[in-house]
Amino acid sequence: MTTYIIRRILLVPLLLFGVTILIFGMLQFLQPAERAALYIRDIPKNPEALESVIRNYGLDQPLYVQYWNWLVGRKNLTTGEISGGILRGDFGYSRVGSEPVIDMIKNRFPATLELALWAFLPIIGVGVWLGVESATHHNKFIDQFARVFSIIGYSFPVFVFGLLALMLFYGKLQWFPPGRFSNWVLAEINTGTFTQYTKIMTLDALLNWRLDIFWDAIRHLILPVITLSYVSWASFLRVTRSSMLESLHQDYMVTAKAKGLPERDAVRRHALPNALIPVVTLAGFTVVMLLGGVVITETIFNFPGIGSAAAEAAAQLDVVTVLGFALFNGFILIFANLVSDILYAVVDPRVRLSSL
Amino acid sequence: MNGNKKTLLEVKNLETSFSTWEGMVHAVNGVSFKLSEGETLGIVGESGCGKSVTVLSLLRLIQSPPGKIVNGTAFFNGKDLMKMTEKELNEVRGSQISLIFQDPMTFFNPVLTIGEQVMEPLKLHLGVSEADAQARAIEILNMVGISNPEERLKDYPYQFSGGMRQRAMIAMALICSPQILIADEPTTALDVTVQAQIVDLVKKLRDELGMSIIWITHDLGIVAGLVDRVAVMYAGYIVETADVMELYKNPRHPYTIGLLGSLPRLDETERRKLASIDGIPPVLFRSASTCPFAPRCPYRIDRCFNENPMLRNVGDGHEIACWVDVVNHKEQV
Repeated sequence: MTTYIIRRILLVPLLLFGVTILIFGMLQFLQPAERAALYIRDIPKNPEALESVIRNYGLDQPLYVQYWNWLVGRKNLTTGEISGGILRGDFGYSRVGSEPVIDMIKNRFPATLELALWAFLPIIGVGVWLGVESATHHNKFIDQFARVFSIIGYSFPVFVFGLLALMLFYGKLQWFPPGRFSNWVLAEINTGTFTQYTKIMTLDALLNWRLDIFWDAIRHLILPVITLSYVSWASFLRVTRSSMLESLHQDYMVTAKAKGLPERDAVRRHALPNALIPVVTLAGFTVVMLLGGVVITETIFNFPGIGSAAAEAAAQLDVVTVLGFALFNGFILIFANLVSDILYAVVDPRVRLSSL
Repeated sequence: MNGNKKTLLEVKNLETSFSTWEGMVHAVNGVSFKLSEGETLGIVGESGCGKSVTVLSLLRLIQSPPGKIVNGTAFFNGKDLMKMTEKELNEVRGSQISLIFQDPMTFFNPVLTIGEQVMEPLKLHLGVSEADAQARAIEILNMVGISNPEERLKDYPYQFSGGMRQRAMIAMALICSPQILIADEPTTALDVTVQAQIVDLVKKLRDELGMSIIWITHDLGIVAGLVDRVAVMYAGYIVETADVMELYKNPRHPYTIGLLGSLPRLDETERRKLASIDGIPPVLFRSASTCPFAPRCPYRIDRCFNENPMLRNVGDGHEIACWVDVVNHKEQV
């Protein structure tokens, strides 16, 4: 187990290097002039500004020099000052956010993280539970119901579902507003009567012991969580159901029953651990999806996470910001994969002990 | 072996069928047999003759649906297994009657350790503590010939060889000291030398623990030195039953004769062609009103196509289901 984990961890730097190469490669689709032009207003009037940006940032240098500059920063030959370099936390300057990309990520990520934290458990818990119930009551009412439910979930586009939910629960009922918090909460943040320790609203509210703000944050979270959950339940239900059905028909279930285990215990102790193996993979993907920012959901509910930020940047052709987010996404993907690989080994001893 | 011993299990008229898209498959058609204390019964027959379904039906372990036990009783220690509640039956399964299966790879759960699986019946039925269960598991694994059991308890099934897995499976079945061990073709998936080891192991354990055994096989050679009585099954019927020596020396049913004729023998002096039984096993879509073996039988008479023979005694516990006295080649009543 330890060897397995160490091997996986040793792979991480290699993967990170791969991601940087990929992102840097994408940057090269743009000509130096195009990249420089992002930061200059009114180019026809300042043709020399373009030249100076290209020269100052070394955009005319060979690729490996540019990659190095991009990765670890660039030394200004006259002042000796080092600037830039993603390893130093400089992901470039975001025109859309009028702030460094890294600050933008820092500001926006807590919202995405909060949404992910609240959505993850309902998605997996309810999805797996429905899948198990559906498989153990194969072809009974609950199974038919779950199948219809999952087909609807599969074929319901998020933007339709989200907009319908918004129309009903905000437009008609005024229960759950879009956004992340109400204006009076914003006022408290601005006047300093509410301290943002983590920028995760629900957690901060508890840390400040302000249950009114906690409730306000929850009201803003409910619709996006439900929207995310409904479309993800379908896939969890289907994966769990089919792997559970397969497990239930395995020979070891006969052994379990022949030992005298009641049906329910046989399912829980013998079928479920086997059936959960593919679910772990799916859970890994889901975490990546949630942490990488759920663009459509965040946009519909005006939720200020990194998904909606990336969408804004893309809409305004802010390449640097988009690639900055892509890089960040790549990091998340690698770490989420690491975690799901380790979990995979926890649930499946064959993986744990093989010489992979 | 010994007629004075107490009857442990008495099965009467067991009938099991499966509903399929093409119709009802009658897998077991009124099977009856007795098992005494300490006795070993061999159930022999070709693939698909209903031997596995018979024993799975005994513990009501067939998948339902599509399987259904249509009829029959099975008295074990005075109680009918067919009429027990699920809860009562669970107390019998794995504790008083245990099963071992054909393929020890697929019948073990791949994600649980051998130890967890071997100890499970003990914890379930006797509620012993983890430490006691472990001590007992080590003891029983030692008994079935697994070396270094303390360490191997932590292993997973795929880390065991086929023979080791079958040994572990036997340990798992015997950990609660059952009165009956049902072995459903436990040697089929193993190679020949390992087969012999497993048979010897079961013999040794039987002598030490004194349980009764029902041993299912399609291999008449394997059971010869192990069982006391043999029941030969064909198309869901028991067609002949006798003490093992009597059956080998003096087979009376045409099917048994055919089976024995197809076995190579070491003590044969002249070369001969191994006999085979013509035709294929019947499809079991309807319970037969004719003798199911008649189409393949070299001794058949008209009556075989009109009436299905019941088991009848032909002397000294030897029973056959056949209209013809094959030895004298004439019809009997």
